[in-house]
Amino acid sequence: MVSALFIYSLRGELLISKHVNNIVQKSMSEIFRIQVINNLDVRSPVLTLGSTTFHHIKSVGNLWIVAVSRSNSDSAAIWEFLYKLNALLKAYGLDSEKEMKEEFMTCYELLDVILEEGVPVDTELSNVAARMSVKPKIGIESFNSFAESIGYSTDRIIPRSRLLTRRTSSLASHDSLHEQHSNVPWRMIGIKYKKNEVFLNVNERISILVSKDGSILRSYVDGTVEATTHLSGMPICRFGLNDALSVTTPFDDGPVDNMNKKAIPKAAAGSVMLEDCKFHQCVQLDKFQNDRTINFIPPDGNFVLMKYHVRENLNLPFKITPTVTVSRSSSVDYRITIKSLFPSKLTAKDVQLRIPVPPETVNCQLSTSNGKCKFVAEESAIIWKFSKYQGLTENSLSATAFPVEDFQLNIDQWPRPPMSLTFEIMMFSNSGLVVRFFDILDKDKNYSLVKWIKYISKSGAYELRY
Amino acid sequence: MSDQRIFSKYKAHEIRSELQQGNSKKHRASAIKRKNALKKIVVNLSMGFSSEMALLFPEILQYWHIDDDMEVKRICHHFLVAMAPTKSANFQEALRLVTEDFNSGNEPLRVLALRTLSSVPISTYFDECRKSVYMVLNKGSESEQLKKTALYAARKLTQMEDKQSGAIINFLHQIMENQKEKPGIRANALYVLYEIQETTKTLQTLTLDFDTCMDMLELLPALNEWDNSRLLDSLTGNYIPQNHSDAHYMIEKTIPQLQHANTSVVLNAFKFVIYLTNYVDFLMESLVKQLSASIISLLNKPPELEFLVLRNIILLLIGREKPILSVDVSYFFVEFNDPIYIKDTKLEILYLLAKEDNLSQILQELKEYATDIDIQMSRKAIRAVGNLAVKLERCVDECMNLLLELLDFEVEYIVQEIVSVFKNVLRRYPEKYEICLFKLIHFTDSVQEPESRGSMIWIITQYSDHLRNYLELFQSFTDNFLNEALEVQFSILSSVIKLFTRNPTPATEKLCIDILKCSTEKSDCPDLRDRAFMYWRLLSSAQQSQGSLIDMNAVREIVDGALPVIALNSHLDPQIVEELELNIGTIASIYLKPVGQVFRLNKPRRLPRSPAFNSNRDGIEVISENSRSHSSSLTEKSSGSRPRRKSSPVKKMEDYDRPAETINQLKLKKKTSSAAMNLTRKPSILARKLSMRKPFA
Repeated sequence: MVSALFIYSLRGELLISKHVNNIVQKSMSEIFRIQVINNLDVRSPVLTLGSTTFHHIKSVGNLWIVAVSRSNSDSAAIWEFLYKLNALLKAYGLDSEKEMKEEFMTCYELLDVILEEGVPVDTELSNVAARMSVKPKIGIESFNSFAESIGYSTDRIIPRSRLLTRRTSSLASHDSLHEQHSNVPWRMIGIKYKKNEVFLNVNERISILVSKDGSILRSYVDGTVEATTHLSGMPICRFGLNDALSVTTPFDDGPVDNMNKKAIPKAAAGSVMLEDCKFHQCVQLDKFQNDRTINFIPPDGNFVLMKYHVRENLNLPFKITPTVTVSRSSSVDYRITIKSLFPSKLTAKDVQLRIPVPPETVNCQLSTSNGKCKFVAEESAIIWKFSKYQGLTENSLSATAFPVEDFQLNIDQWPRPPMSLTFEIMMFSNSGLVVRFFDILDKDKNYSLVKWIKYISKSGAYELRY
Repeated sequence: MSDQRIFSKYKAHEIRSELQQGNSKKHRASAIKRKNALKKIVVNLSMGFSSEMALLFPEILQYWHIDDDMEVKRICHHFLVAMAPTKSANFQEALRLVTEDFNSGNEPLRVLALRTLSSVPISTYFDECRKSVYMVLNKGSESEQLKKTALYAARKLTQMEDKQSGAIINFLHQIMENQKEKPGIRANALYVLYEIQETTKTLQTLTLDFDTCMDMLELLPALNEWDNSRLLDSLTGNYIPQNHSDAHYMIEKTIPQLQHANTSVVLNAFKFVIYLTNYVDFLMESLVKQLSASIISLLNKPPELEFLVLRNIILLLIGREKPILSVDVSYFFVEFNDPIYIKDTKLEILYLLAKEDNLSQILQELKEYATDIDIQMSRKAIRAVGNLAVKLERCVDECMNLLLELLDFEVEYIVQEIVSVFKNVLRRYPEKYEICLFKLIHFTDSVQEPESRGSMIWIITQYSDHLRNYLELFQSFTDNFLNEALEVQFSILSSVIKLFTRNPTPATEKLCIDILKCSTEKSDCPDLRDRAFMYWRLLSSAQQSQGSLIDMNAVREIVDGALPVIALNSHLDPQIVEELELNIGTIASIYLKPVGQVFRLNKPRRLPRSPAFNSNRDGIEVISENSRSHSSSLTEKSSGSRPRRKSSPVKKMEDYDRPAETINQLKLKKKTSSAAMNLTRKPSILARKLSMRKPFA
């Protein structure tokens, strides 16, 4: 599948070149350098020349990771593999040019472990670590969540919660080369903890787009359930959500009856329509298919248990009402109210509304009911910030943006980029998703389990036009 | 000696002397030195100086023994693999060392040794390799890792030497069918078999019967993600359902995999299911729903994977009359931070999904893009509107109105693009000129780019009957004839001929002759000259001789005949679609081109025929869950089925409103925050800004 694997520095110096059975000419690395790295206008993440294809990604540490293939390979597998490799390199502290130059043999060793004749065999860190002679730089615990966040732009990276960095005394050892393998490819036999703990993090990101007349053009929540397990033995865990389909019969068109009713957030009332969810490889998918129960034997440490996507019945946390008018003196008037719709017990953090102004603006008159507000000329925007925002609270802003003197603003020519809001709310779920239970099947009486759960709702692209 | 210097070019003798230095004393420091020298070899190999490094073969053999260190061994094996193409005589000596390594108790070393054995194209290595492969695979106690290595070594053996491959293939079949073997090994054995038949021209396709296929699918829960995806890949096209119920059963078995987190597993499951739908008599509505939902949820993967998924969505949308996906357009609205390749692909999907009922939503969105700051995007959005007008006959007015509305912005590149686009719209709907013609003409002077100029010339010529001042308008193009781009010159040339034949007045005649003269005498381009001469002769022969075959009417017919109506065809050839659907998730699915065109090494794939094969793929009924008892009359049942749920009705922000408990009132005083105030702190920027405001005062 992969005929050769190259890793380049940002400037294009070849650091690693791993050839599989010599069918790729040595000059191929040169071709990639010329065609992609030295080419400023790269418009595709894949390049095919003749019948040779280069799939490439750029790592967080600014390395180019490139897979070369000679036939019609599985692109999905190649890119998934490159991202996994990227995460593993990071785990072994090899994510920058300098480190790679010093420890390149570790990288070759890693490739020997995870690739078999150009075919990825196993990229689960706990298994890889067992075969490597070098220990990873970061703990297995923090690995998977990192692996998931990689590949998103930096603002999407989920800061790791405090909870997860707390370590319980783990007696599990990963350094022995002759670790016994079990029937479960992602979990070793013989893991023991004094205290059995499970941490669940429900992370959600809500994106909406509201048009001028207040109709919602697009709204969805992308969520992940991250789990950190410190469990002894081979526990079979069962996990339950307030998933609408697990309550009623599968594939019954539940919400159809509600079509004519107003689309009121009813998520809190009952259940969530999970449009689709994706599970970690440990989840028994056939079981889920049949009776919507989520059963799994977890890998040790941190992993993303599931990802989901919800479009219906969301809890929108903020309502923004903008009125933007252009006065005769070609200044622009803004009257904006922002109202929080979540319960007053909760507070949102780092709420920031970005209000674009025409690029010719030099001066703004601002007045707000609360929060800090300033005009940032470099970004052509007014930034209105709240470090804390109480639930069910309304605030308003009034502003006038004045353009350069003698400038006749033609409002039609101003593209009016959308306003955007960013925020973070703890213990609130935009989708209304609630974890109903988490338990371990067939456990004996002595097996006590401590469970922690946390919900974090954040803004994705929360935008409105005006 | 710092590690930094490892990463540079060395001569063989330099490294050799370093190695020998290290040899003199046998303590720790020298071992490190030696290792560093060996590392330099690895670096130089990757830099491409393999012929220089080849000189060090004897040294490598010498050091093989000295250190019993895994890293040194790894370097030695790496060296051997890199040197394999040279078939140097030293390999005979190395063979003994490699076999020794293979027979050692250390597992990672055995893996390395087996890989090296399979990589060196020398017959003695093959013999040794074959022996080892059989030994490893026959022994139950060997580790999974080593067995996998053996399987892939077997694949290589069949590629290198043909005469033994029959036996190896049989052996692999046995492993695959061996119930006692570990699931991971069986799945990989199947994949290796599939790869072998895929790359070997002479072999028949691997055909699996129902029981084997079932057996393999049962393994899925016990496999890791990569084996999972390869297993599904190998089943596609190799298991041929013999009747409808088998196919249904398999689909049911595969569906859970659509929930997997790994894109490759999902797309391969997708491929297998789509393949199986060619052998069923009906489709469940829930299946369509699940397929759509699962592919949509892949869209929040990293951009490269998202791109791949989007391309595959295009494939599934254009492949069939009745697409097997039912997806909501709003998923494909462009986000401002999408990379350019994703933006392009999303636009394409929006175009494909456009129907009469969602057009207004899409147009609204395209309008936003058209006024975007990103010029590329803006142009593409305008193109898309034009294409939609051509595609959807009943909605053409809506599209044209949007274009005209955008024209009011009078932004230069928008004007260029809109004028270019209108040519196609008017060719499709010649009678629609009234609403746009006069507005367009207004921009005659502002069209700059060759394409938009050409388009404007065409529009003026085409509707010259309705334009009283067409000659005036035309003047702006002909005045500067020689400086125009070649394609504009061509359109001016053919337009003046058209105008003359349509309306032979002294003014048009003069224009015509001027241009003909100019093109024949002053132009350097032979094509333009040729074409001008051709027209000239045509005209003169028509005018001169009464008895000739050609008269003025015939000329008119030739140069100004009715144009065929254009149509956009976004559908691919069914044969190509058939092949691409067997290649979902692969590189070919990105380019949407037949595999053979891009990759000569791959065999073309076709849907195998069987009694259950459905030749009319668009004829498959999609039935809803309510009508499970479909046996009696399919058509009646399906017509009775409820139409698929569309995206929910448009929601309003108001619906989510609730009363606020606290309302903070505005503070009365307004404070001023100005750019100038910020800038005064940075005098240089301020100076620059001011100087830019009044450039040449």
